[in-house]
Amino acid sequence: MKNINNIIKNTVVIAVIGMLFISCEKHLEDLYDNPNAVTTIDDSALFTKAVRSLFQGTTDNGSSHFAGMHAHYYVAGSTWRAPDQYGDGHDGDYNSILNGGYSGTIRHIEEVLQLTTTEGTQNNVRNAMANVIAVLGYAKITDAFGDVPYTEGGKGKSEDILQPKYDTQESIYKDLISRLTNSISILKSADPALGYPDSDPIFNNDLDKWVRFANSVRLRLAMRLRFADSALSQSTVTQCLSNPLMEGPEHDAFMIETEGTGNAWFTRRTGFPSIKMSTMLIDQLQGTADPRLSVFVSEDGNGQYSGMVNGLTDVAFGGSDFANKSDMGLALSSSDSKLYMITAAETWLLRAEAVLAYDNDPVAANAMFRMGIETSLEQWEVDPADIATFLASPAASLAGINDEEQIGTQMWLALTPNYFESWTHIRRTGYPAIPVRTAPELHQGVTNGIMPSRFLYSSFELGSNSANAQEAISRQGANKIDTPVWWDKN
Amino acid sequence: MKKLFLILVAIGFSITTYAQQTVSGTVLEEGTDIPLLGVSVLVKGTSSGASTDFDGNYSISDVDNDATLVFSYLGYKTQEVLVAGQSTINVSLETDAQGLDEVVVTALNIQRDKESLGYSISQVSSEEVNVARENNVMNSLSGKVSGLQITQSNTGVDGSSRVLLRGITTISGSNRPLVVVDGIPISNGSGGAGGGGGIDRGDALSDINPDDVASISVLKGAGAAAAYGSLGMNGVILVTTKSGAKKDGVGISLNSSFSFTDVALTPDFQNEYGSGAFGDFAPINADGRPVLDYPFSWSWGPKMEGQTYTNWLGQQDTFSPNPKKNPYKEFYQTGFTMSNTVAFEGRSDKGSFRLAITDEDGQGIVRNNTLAKQTFSIRGTTKLSDKFSVDGKMTYLTSKVRNRPQLAEGSGNTALQLSLMPRDIRLEDVANNTINASGEEIKWNLDNTFNNPYWALENAGNLDEKDRFQGFLSANWDLGSKFNITAKSGMDYIVYDFTNWGATGARAISNGLGSYSHDSGKSRIWNSDILATYSTNISDFKITTSVGSTYRNEFNSSRNIWGNDAKVDDFYRISNYKNSFSNENVSKKGIYSFYALGQFSYGGYLYFDATIRNDNSSALPKANNSYWYHSENMSVLFSKMLGISSNILSQGKLRGSFAKVGNDTSPYRTQAVYNVDQTVTLPYTVASISGSLPSFDLKPETSESWEVGADLGFLNNRIQLDFTYYETNTTDQIMAVPISGTTAYSSKVINAGKIQNKGYEAQLNLVPIDSDDFTWDLGLNFTKSNSKVISLNEGLERISLGSLWTASVEARPGQEFGTIYGNDFLRDNFGRKIIGNDGLAKRGDRIALGNINPDWYGGISSKFRYKNISLSSLISIQQGGEYYSYGRGYRMFFGTDERSLVGRESGIVENGINEFTGFENDVAASAFLKQFTDIFANEVATDLIMDASNVKLREVALTYDFPQTMLRGSFIQSASLSAVGRNLFFLYNAAGDIDPEATYSSGPTSTAFEHSSLPSTRSYGVNLKINF
Repeated sequence: MKNINNIIKNTVVIAVIGMLFISCEKHLEDLYDNPNAVTTIDDSALFTKAVRSLFQGTTDNGSSHFAGMHAHYYVAGSTWRAPDQYGDGHDGDYNSILNGGYSGTIRHIEEVLQLTTTEGTQNNVRNAMANVIAVLGYAKITDAFGDVPYTEGGKGKSEDILQPKYDTQESIYKDLISRLTNSISILKSADPALGYPDSDPIFNNDLDKWVRFANSVRLRLAMRLRFADSALSQSTVTQCLSNPLMEGPEHDAFMIETEGTGNAWFTRRTGFPSIKMSTMLIDQLQGTADPRLSVFVSEDGNGQYSGMVNGLTDVAFGGSDFANKSDMGLALSSSDSKLYMITAAETWLLRAEAVLAYDNDPVAANAMFRMGIETSLEQWEVDPADIATFLASPAASLAGINDEEQIGTQMWLALTPNYFESWTHIRRTGYPAIPVRTAPELHQGVTNGIMPSRFLYSSFELGSNSANAQEAISRQGANKIDTPVWWDKN
Repeated sequence: MKKLFLILVAIGFSITTYAQQTVSGTVLEEGTDIPLLGVSVLVKGTSSGASTDFDGNYSISDVDNDATLVFSYLGYKTQEVLVAGQSTINVSLETDAQGLDEVVVTALNIQRDKESLGYSISQVSSEEVNVARENNVMNSLSGKVSGLQITQSNTGVDGSSRVLLRGITTISGSNRPLVVVDGIPISNGSGGAGGGGGIDRGDALSDINPDDVASISVLKGAGAAAAYGSLGMNGVILVTTKSGAKKDGVGISLNSSFSFTDVALTPDFQNEYGSGAFGDFAPINADGRPVLDYPFSWSWGPKMEGQTYTNWLGQQDTFSPNPKKNPYKEFYQTGFTMSNTVAFEGRSDKGSFRLAITDEDGQGIVRNNTLAKQTFSIRGTTKLSDKFSVDGKMTYLTSKVRNRPQLAEGSGNTALQLSLMPRDIRLEDVANNTINASGEEIKWNLDNTFNNPYWALENAGNLDEKDRFQGFLSANWDLGSKFNITAKSGMDYIVYDFTNWGATGARAISNGLGSYSHDSGKSRIWNSDILATYSTNISDFKITTSVGSTYRNEFNSSRNIWGNDAKVDDFYRISNYKNSFSNENVSKKGIYSFYALGQFSYGGYLYFDATIRNDNSSALPKANNSYWYHSENMSVLFSKMLGISSNILSQGKLRGSFAKVGNDTSPYRTQAVYNVDQTVTLPYTVASISGSLPSFDLKPETSESWEVGADLGFLNNRIQLDFTYYETNTTDQIMAVPISGTTAYSSKVINAGKIQNKGYEAQLNLVPIDSDDFTWDLGLNFTKSNSKVISLNEGLERISLGSLWTASVEARPGQEFGTIYGNDFLRDNFGRKIIGNDGLAKRGDRIALGNINPDWYGGISSKFRYKNISLSSLISIQQGGEYYSYGRGYRMFFGTDERSLVGRESGIVENGINEFTGFENDVAASAFLKQFTDIFANEVATDLIMDASNVKLREVALTYDFPQTMLRGSFIQSASLSAVGRNLFFLYNAAGDIDPEATYSSGPTSTAFEHSSLPSTRSYGVNLKINF
């Protein structure tokens, strides 16, 4: 009997355990789903993310910590000044710049591109708009590093590519231009209802402005190729000129950051690091009585505009009275200061350069040069009387001697505060000339005093995507900051 | 069938024709007369017998008159008694304190004779953790147990500790052992700040009240822990709390401790040169104050010789050495810890209980850093019938820690500020000048990432409040003498509120706008299990088999709100902030498990254990969510088997163990999702994708380990040696491998990588002197453990496990785990530095500069007892291992470190060759430029790698037991008074002025980095125990 009892008891125990097993399987399924996020979403929410990341990128580490000082707009204080000395000990920064380029705009726009071409959520208008954003995202990455992953880049999720191959900058540029051409032709005749009616942070879904935007970006990229692939550059410019371009500040692509503390320059002006505007910028604006002086530069404690010399050695910096120099202007560094992607002023100046270079038409070039200046002054809401005065001054007309330099210098001013694009512009054209540093109080860095040409592939990238990165280096040249990128022939 | 029955009856009858009777009696413990439960009473030479019940009673029928009864019980000397016609045999069993017959608590709280185990286990008694008491009970184990490495971070009161058992086995896991309190696994995360700053909010282990601990068992290998499944992969620390069962009648015990904590080790500061750069004073600004920006706010100015100068406040002052040489000794105070426990305990024939309350208060070396913690604990067991008993516990703990210190690069890290402050600045001036007329913080430095330490003391702070409830209920049902079912359900529930604030006026805190944050949340781990056990004896075989099932549920939820831009000063609630943000998160996970255990022993000298277990986890994809593992352990007492009974070799045991363990992962790593971004101002929706790519086909990771060992006793066990060799291979590790950012993602969750961890550990216990009045116990333990990365994901060269400034600790295939990488100097083929024409060295390649793992570590413990006085001490030893000290680097290029005095006047001629001529460098570079260039501009880590070797006097306790003659007539049963000291001093410290344990977090690779840590502390005080 005792044995039978035990058998019954054992059976009960096993039965109880068996029941547990079945009910638990169901229970585990209930726990599987992540309650903190969603598994599907309309691509508009990812589009806004990508666009916002793109604009936020104009104040990112590469733009503010490197490009702004390389392009001699300002000098940062404290330890933030280091890149101004042309050193290359910035592995962590290079890594964050490379990763940041892909993780913001590219990660989300690739998802949009995939969703807008997937059965069920397919939409060629949205796809065309997304392509413009993707082009801007990729152009900035390749301008910063040279060869970068493009055809396989940004496809960690969509195609599970964890070690993407690098593409040559030449092939990237060619594809970017053709993507824009394709987008422009779609957007010119698109139904706005198929765009992003309530989710366009730039133009509120105004497709006419989108066409001008995409076409102006195409003009920028076309001129980038001027010294590297003149034929493609010229034929693309011709296409651009036969389509609408940005013409006035109302066409400008900008965004005002309203989340958090707003424009990142606000906290940089008021907090860490302190930023002082450069002697080069102040001298240019003061020397030409440019009304943008008071826009870009604040007066110092004595009511003067006093600039910092870029590239000082530590000893010279110590004696430079840095703390008492002019801060960045409030129009550039308030929490609601606009973040600019591309402007009509830039577009006019690109056209001036194009007309001069390809049509050899100094008269037309001068007209466009003056439009560029006028548009830039309007963009900064300069008083119309002051605009007229400045347009009457010699600085506002091409003299026929150093036209390229005049255009280049005005481009430098007009690109403010898009510092990254401005550094790229200087690298391409050589204007305004950034003097080679030879004076003893200036730091020569690792470039013999010449403005750096690119960022380095970080040691993390060299470790995590080794073979592909090494292949790019063997093709492009040593992984140094003075190795020029493909379009950089000056 | 019927025939067989008849035959059996006939045989039975024929046997009973012998003179037989029923024998019964009681078994008590000799000396205390406590009834012993579960004593095996066997009729010698037969398989018949019984075991004693709760009252120590037994009864065996049909015993031959001339039979012999064998009474055996774990931890007691076996006794044989001739029946000789008696019908009542009462026995008192003598405890067997000798050597290897130790009873230890093993997995699933099963008490086992240590000699029967096939794996290594160490047990620590309550006295070892509650005399020289530590807030975090784990710290008391440091140096006491081989294979266990404890690193106590210097992060203020109630900080966390790094706990590793037998080194590192997984690349990205916590590697922390499971902690089980009274059979219930509790939550056990690590804590700490990052290199960029933050605070250490402690770990869950500091909530175990040392005064409630009865014993701690350390189950080192997977073989020991296999019954816990994946949770036990990194070993298990089993804490058994006091249940009152040892006490006869009702008693009250008191345990009081008081100790001081003071600064034990600080950096060496120079006191010859003050603020400025290149030997000159800083230029004076328009506002009359010197330029307080770099490099002038560093200590590379003129020699302090009593000159007149303009000080940092813009006042005329005398430039002379700081009269108080060390700012740490001036700023930090002597803290204290005080704890009092009252416990009521008792037992009757129906059960036992213990009620205890502990109050602990402390103050750290930073004056506003305090701890208040109360623990209530109720434990009771009762026998509802002969067959059925229940056991339950409730522990409630409430703790409040104020102002956990900011660490590392955090703007409020007082140690960073003090160590970098120019040497001419007097601390009283800093204390007296914290806020200017416009309400802004006054600083010695323009760098807005730093605070004035006194401003921070008054105007920034945090409050960490936690309530924790732990409890269980268990029932034990004996179904006959051989079959038993235990069911248990227990939980660990934590609720916390953490607020952090900074006043307006400090640039480092939201640009002077002020900030506030409030994190609150709760977490719950609930374990329920049922275990059925059947045991039987078949002649010389003893067999115990168990089957069981566990369900574990983990739940966490948290809410964070934060804001900046205060409307009203000194008011810290979210409504007071113009910008506010919030976030919430929920995480759930369930695991259910089924397992079977078997123990077989033969002849009392051959033991074999096996475990098989199946886990099912909600964190893995459905197709892979069920996984199996098993363990086999074997132990041979060869001395007993071969009948060796010499005095030289008194005990000998060989053991071996193999285990295969699987592991799941944290929830929600196998699903692609979109996060909806929290936006306040935008008219459109923004969603984002996490940077970590999920894996849709994740499978459990696997760890296979084996160990062999020997336990030997010589000279009547006055010399005991335990030795173990172990090896663990962990494959298919689940980790978020960092991937190239060009994929647009930062990591992907995959199964990859293999780590091989092997080592040996030895424990030698000696009793050199053993007489009635005088005994001396000496214990030595030694551990050598190495973890090697065999492979990572294909194509992946390395995984960074953490970084500080430009040094990183990495896993690379073929390298030892935890290798520290950093930039070296540029060198030629002979290793000589290449020096520029300016006399400065150049940055070279990024190379391996050290490794976090010690070559070996161990401890020496000694206990002298003379009559009523005992003196115990513990010395811990670490040989080898390296860390990167960015704190040293900072002090060097800021010129405050004593070592920065080298070459101040004459410059430093760097050893090396000129890059152009190849000749020996003869250009002297300015000491300032050299330090700044090497450490900051060139980011060279070579000179900042420190040797972690050290020998530390960890613990000393002098105890006086009041003699019974003195207490006789009073109501006090026993009393003892101890003077104790912890972490007293280094007998040897290779790095000199930096504590190698001074980390800012407690993760697996946290020992790689030191960054301007709070000074190391020592504590000393008294402990009084009284039992009524």
